[in-house]
Amino acid sequence: MRHRAAYLAFDRFPSSKGSAVHIAQMADELFGFFGGGLLGVLGGGDLPRYQREGDREVARFDARIPNLLDRAEAFSGWAADHLDPHLGTLEVVHVRDPWSALPAVTAPGRRHRVVYEVNGLPSIEMGHTWPWASPATLGKVRELERFCLERSDAVVVPSRVIGGAVRGLGVPEGKIHLVPNGADVPDRPARPEGAPERYLIYVGAFQPWQGLDVLMRAFARLADLDGLRLVVCGSVPERRAKPVRRLAERLGVAERVDWRFTLPHAEVAAWLAHAEVSVAPLTGCARNLDQGCAPLKVIESMAAGVPVVASDLPAVRELMADGEHGRLVPADRPAELARAVRILLEYPDEAAAMGGRARRRIEDGLTWARSRAGLSAVYRALYPASAAR
Amino acid sequence: MTSQVNRCTVTTGFFVLGRCGRAAVAACGQCGRPVCAEHATGALCPECALAQGYAPQDPHDPAWVRGYRRRHYERSSQTYNDAYWYSSFDEYDRGAFNPGDEYSYGGGDFDDDGMDFVDS
Ligand SMILES: [Zn+2]
Ligand SMILES: [Zn+2]
Repeated sequence: MRHRAAYLAFDRFPSSKGSAVHIAQMADELFGFFGGGLLGVLGGGDLPRYQREGDREVARFDARIPNLLDRAEAFSGWAADHLDPHLGTLEVVHVRDPWSALPAVTAPGRRHRVVYEVNGLPSIEMGHTWPWASPATLGKVRELERFCLERSDAVVVPSRVIGGAVRGLGVPEGKIHLVPNGADVPDRPARPEGAPERYLIYVGAFQPWQGLDVLMRAFARLADLDGLRLVVCGSVPERRAKPVRRLAERLGVAERVDWRFTLPHAEVAAWLAHAEVSVAPLTGCARNLDQGCAPLKVIESMAAGVPVVASDLPAVRELMADGEHGRLVPADRPAELARAVRILLEYPDEAAAMGGRARRRIEDGLTWARSRAGLSAVYRALYPASAAR
Repeated sequence: MTSQVNRCTVTTGFFVLGRCGRAAVAACGQCGRPVCAEHATGALCPECALAQGYAPQDPHDPAWVRGYRRRHYERSSQTYNDAYWYSSFDEYDRGAFNPGDEYSYGGGDFDDDGMDFVDS
């Protein structure tokens, strides 16, 4: 089968992480638009190397290469080989990172357009996750990003802050398209088995810039609230929680924290829906401020009708308003975070009203249906002839 | 085949994966897995059939990986005849990205919405 569309991502798919939800939505829209396509992603574990679902093919790169750069570059080569048989028919290649972008923009005899979806910039991100990465190395990553962005036909960003970061890399305004993340607004799901009576919830991974340490310190200040528990739904495997758990023990809150790991997306939605408050304590580091982020956890909490207490960062302000859908508090300030949570717990009617407004805000403006319509408009602008859909 | 019904083990689904589970009518000519009538196209299971469309690979062989990378970069820099952008990462650059070198929180994921550097 020769495809007209391909979607490439240096990400495992499917997985329990937010990136997988995002990829599923975007790739589904792309393949719907072009009558099928090839999805090239990371595999491993039980995931099959190749899969066919109707007019879609999934190919998974599962080489076990320990060094990140070696792995990323091998993925580029693999992706190039997988585009190869389709080069005569491809119209759009949608990519998600420089290592999937490179083979798409440098394909020999390229006829296809490249849509580059930027959810984060490795040149910034990697400095926050790999302490030994030197500025010179990150500079090379930035050159790679620039090279790929320059040769892409459209750049899709999920937030204005990331749009600004992309403009800073020299991408002209007219090429940048804002397609916010979304959520599906579910009917209220049943209470999860084993859910405590009253709990705060954190959903996501455990990198330093997620601010879980701030949350733990804030939670220590709520020790007087009888029966209040904190549920942490980690999107990554349990072993990554070790440092956070150690901190929880040191702060004396460990017995009041419940841990869940890599739950299916639908189960996380249920945990969210029955929480008192959802907390997104993102730190005010350069990674969150300059590069920006588009925290899916905020959108999904709002969709679940739960009031959110989040750090007051520009990327979060694009999604929710202080006092309207929850509370925005200064980043990295446990005392302020604790106080905001305490007030919401003391005024449950007001908290419920915020949750209700949050849910309506998603229904009215931040559904996946709307995100997908935005993406489809980008494809249509590139290919007016394909609008026959 | 025994009288016991074998079930088709082909993986199905896009975001939520499962196993086909229909009664198998044949075995894949290459990997031998049981396949149902729907999934038995030709003599191969869908996974083996699709793999045939692409260059064979042995990603467990480090030499394969090195050669792969080199071939790809040579080809793409020829396409652009531009040596500047291919500011190849040297051993010093690579040295910062070995397993265990990431912050102890085990980051490398792009928040909830990004590149997965670690769980590969
Ligand atoms: Zn087979
Ligand atoms: Zn089957």
